[in-house]
Amino acid sequence: MTHSSSQPPTSAIREKTEILYGTENVLGSLLEFLSKAKRIDSCGDSKSLSLVFEVDMYNKLLIDIKNRGIKVRQVTDITKENIRYCKELLKFGYEIRHLDDIKTNFSVSETEYLATAAALREAQPIPQIIYSNVKDIVEQQRYVFESFWNRAIPAETRINEIEKGIELEKTHVIQDQQSIKKLFVDMVKSAQHEVLLILPTVNAFLREHRIGVIQLLLKAAKEHSVNVRILTPTNDVIDDLLRNVKILSYQEGERKKDFDFDLRSINLSSEETAVSTVTIVVIDKKESLVFEKTDDTKENFIEAVGSATYSNSKPTVMSYVSIFKNLWKQADLYEQLKSHDKMQKEFINIASHEMKTPTQAIIGYADLIKKHPEKRDDMMQAISRNAVRLQRLTNDILDVTRIDSNTLNPLKELFNLDDLIANVIQDNVGYIEKENLSVKLLYNIKRDINEPLSVDADRDRIAQVISNLLNNAIKFTSKGMDGVIFVSAERKKNSNQEEVIVSIKDTGEGINPEIQPRLFTKFATRSFSGTGLGLYISKSIVEAHGGKMWAENNPEGNGATFTFTLPLSRKEDDRQL
Amino acid sequence: MAKEKEKEKEKKKILVVDDEPDNTSIFSMGLEDGGFKVDAFTDPLLALSRFKSLHKKYDLLILDIKMPDMNGFELFEEIRKIDNKVKACFLTAFGEGYTEEFGRRFPSSINVSFVRKPIRIDDLVRKVNELVITYR
Repeated sequence: MTHSSSQPPTSAIREKTEILYGTENVLGSLLEFLSKAKRIDSCGDSKSLSLVFEVDMYNKLLIDIKNRGIKVRQVTDITKENIRYCKELLKFGYEIRHLDDIKTNFSVSETEYLATAAALREAQPIPQIIYSNVKDIVEQQRYVFESFWNRAIPAETRINEIEKGIELEKTHVIQDQQSIKKLFVDMVKSAQHEVLLILPTVNAFLREHRIGVIQLLLKAAKEHSVNVRILTPTNDVIDDLLRNVKILSYQEGERKKDFDFDLRSINLSSEETAVSTVTIVVIDKKESLVFEKTDDTKENFIEAVGSATYSNSKPTVMSYVSIFKNLWKQADLYEQLKSHDKMQKEFINIASHEMKTPTQAIIGYADLIKKHPEKRDDMMQAISRNAVRLQRLTNDILDVTRIDSNTLNPLKELFNLDDLIANVIQDNVGYIEKENLSVKLLYNIKRDINEPLSVDADRDRIAQVISNLLNNAIKFTSKGMDGVIFVSAERKKNSNQEEVIVSIKDTGEGINPEIQPRLFTKFATRSFSGTGLGLYISKSIVEAHGGKMWAENNPEGNGATFTFTLPLSRKEDDRQL
Repeated sequence: MAKEKEKEKEKKKILVVDDEPDNTSIFSMGLEDGGFKVDAFTDPLLALSRFKSLHKKYDLLILDIKMPDMNGFELFEEIRKIDNKVKACFLTAFGEGYTEEFGRRFPSSINVSFVRKPIRIDDLVRKVNELVITYR
């Protein structure tokens, strides 16, 4: 390639912008361009790098550049496919930088500008080219190049990433609404393990539903075992919608809830907590998409969405995951709090009602006793009876409060369980005789003297438990017939340690199946002499000692058996302590 | 003799329904001491059927709210079907729980009021006197 002839002064050259057609003409203009340039700044898409190598007639361009010592700066999209061309060009002295998905193809020198006028085809010569030497245009394009150059990353970095197989971590903003919608749907479809979604408003949910995202998520959960979690405000419309969507899925006789599709309700739209006026979706903890609403009133996704930020950069994605986890937990805690509040209110209502009843009786009789001295004995008895009832209730309510606030604090000591049971039975035998009840209490002890039942527990509390169970047994057995109550305490070896099983079996009415599921809850059964809290308290005491309590109706048909376990104290362990 | 019968007839008649037998005893005694004639029931269903069969005219119903089988509000509505002018005073041991239902069921609280348990006998008698007179 010969040197070009010397240039006439710039001012004498006519300013022109023209399109050149035909590969020969294009080549001609390229050569001319090179002959006048000392520096070339170039932008090219991913196909552009191969041109000087693969197109025969362009080979000489490269040699020309080298021989003339022209400095070339190139911004291009480096991919796995063109990486080898890129390396070659670097050897030739090109300065190359990478910019994702760059599509423009142009070159600009100090005085001239060239751009392809048609799309580049792989390894094909350029068919048409735009040329301009108009000063303003050239300056403008130099400016465009600089802005690309500054945003691009060094080729070496990009080559490194490709060769090491590291996916280029990127975060970028997308403005085009259709692209956002497509990306959103594609990302959801591509999910393999998990989808986290935060929706800021009810309308957002409805829009997502209209573009089919909710159904896609449901499908992913059911068919591909994707764990789907959604945080969204809800209202009746959404609840109905979800029910319908889930119902439709059940039509083919599927089992309920075999899949991971969880939705928790949050309300993020108050002024102070405008944490999320955006929709956040995280796929497989690897990609995130965050898009904002420009107009929440719009029903159409395209119309409502503003710009979106996509990221597969780990720190960014993980920070969204962290936000999601926190809000998810918060929603759960809120639900728990609401339900706990509700239970508390109910308990207080019932407890106060229960307390006011004997109180009314005491106050009433005390008022009347002055005017009815003849009824004094009966009234005093009634006052007494109600006072005792009130006292029992107060104690039980206090116990329940302690249990619920975890301040039960059993005072543990070592004692012989057989002795304790025997004492409680003795008290009750006295009661049975006094009340003339036709009930027999049996307690069999066949125990080796060397193996006493030694427990480390709160003596009074365990006595309370046994008393409670015995009283219940007596109450439910002494309606007329000759009842028997068997008390037993057996040692049993469990997997970890030894325990004692205490059971109280009666031949009375048995447990009403309607009440059975709630048997150990507060105020499950209210009888005249009972407080309705005994079993709840007993079970809680046993569990506070590491034991269990349960109840069943007897297989023989009459009566029920209440059983609880307590860990046995092992002397060897104690010595070690 | 005739004078006493006259006096009996003039006494205001009260119906008391409360599932706690101690309460019905106390209220009956207290109100009778206060010069009223009292019919008392611990079973609301029984009270309702007696009311239907005996067509008695009560000047006031005193009804406990929380009762098994049928609560005080329901009982009152049933009785109203027979005698729509009957007046009632509800006894409640619950806290705020019932005021909402009360407001809902009886938006215009004519002929209806309520009173909190426990209540002193004198206070009850005074309240009943007020209600029986003002509900003219």
